[in-house]
Amino acid sequence: MSFLLKYKNINEKRELPNNEYTIKELLDELELSAQTIVSKQNGELVIEDTVIEEDDEIQLVQIIYGG
Amino acid sequence: MQCSKCGNPKVIIKKEQSGQYLCKDCFIDSIEKKVIKTVRKEKLLDKGDKVLVALSGGKDSVTTLEILNTFRELNIIDLCAVTVDEGIANYREEGVDIAVRHAERLGIEHKVVSLKDEYGITLDEIMQRENHKGSCTYCGVFRRTIINKAAREMGATKIATGHNLDDEVQSIMMNYLEGNTDNLTKLGAKTESKAEEFTVKIKPLREIPEREIGLYVVAKDLEVHFNGCPYAMQSFRGEVSEVVNQLSEKHPTIKYSTLRGYDKIKNVLKKEMQKEYAHGRCSRCGEPSANDLCKACSFLEELGV
Repeated sequence: MSFLLKYKNINEKRELPNNEYTIKELLDELELSAQTIVSKQNGELVIEDTVIEEDDEIQLVQIIYGG
Repeated sequence: MQCSKCGNPKVIIKKEQSGQYLCKDCFIDSIEKKVIKTVRKEKLLDKGDKVLVALSGGKDSVTTLEILNTFRELNIIDLCAVTVDEGIANYREEGVDIAVRHAERLGIEHKVVSLKDEYGITLDEIMQRENHKGSCTYCGVFRRTIINKAAREMGATKIATGHNLDDEVQSIMMNYLEGNTDNLTKLGAKTESKAEEFTVKIKPLREIPEREIGLYVVAKDLEVHFNGCPYAMQSFRGEVSEVVNQLSEKHPTIKYSTLRGYDKIKNVLKKEMQKEYAHGRCSRCGEPSANDLCKACSFLEELGV
């Protein structure tokens, strides 16, 4: 059970830890703030409560940079 | 989970401040309507205005251009844009290219002005000097001077900037915390100077949270430059932003209430605290200035250019 993560230069397959794994949990694991990121599931914008399914392509786009 | 407006199950945002869920189309529509409402409420535009958009190619300025273009399509205003190339290697080029493409796409008059052409020095070169005052100090002053000059040259009656809700709340809090009552009188949706040479500045995105502008450009597939400035550092603004964002997690309406509170006391502040400045001319460049040299020229003198 895995999904594809795309974020900046990252393009990697990651294991799904459980059946209810959400994008919010993925962001927490990557230490990214939902305030600065928007997420796409298989090319479509979704909210962070979305559950990641097997073979999904999850793309994270950083929209806010500090400074 | 479905869109609170149309029932579409494909929601792209949960608005923490209202608990509302929105699908892509309803979200895009809500942002555009909110900006148009700000424009009307604050009387930011007059029929026949020529609005100069300060266009960096980033999300905020591209959104400003995109939404103001709806007023242009209705023949209410004319639009033009200026992009300032500060001379930051491996950073600014992409934004400039994106700005050029947006201006071409919309068919509007556009000008790119570089610090190198205008002042003979780039920001990268300034930052190599040992006694520099920090990148943002120069960048802010030079950019403001170039944009004001471009507005006069292009015959613009208003300058539109992409300041969003987060920017405005940070400015309110920073100036309050620093006790800078003079700067506090200068904020707001529309800022006018008594000097005729300074064009009126407007902030159409002032009530839109920064994250929603980011989501808007991605939802609309607008090409923007998403990247951090290499000179960005931990500034006081950054610290204030962190505190406000932290407070927003438990109090999702706090940015709006800070803005509303400021708007309620703004007129009293202006009346009681606004300073009168002398209206002279800079002896070096002729731009309006309260002192013998304007801020830009005093920096140039210090840098020996």
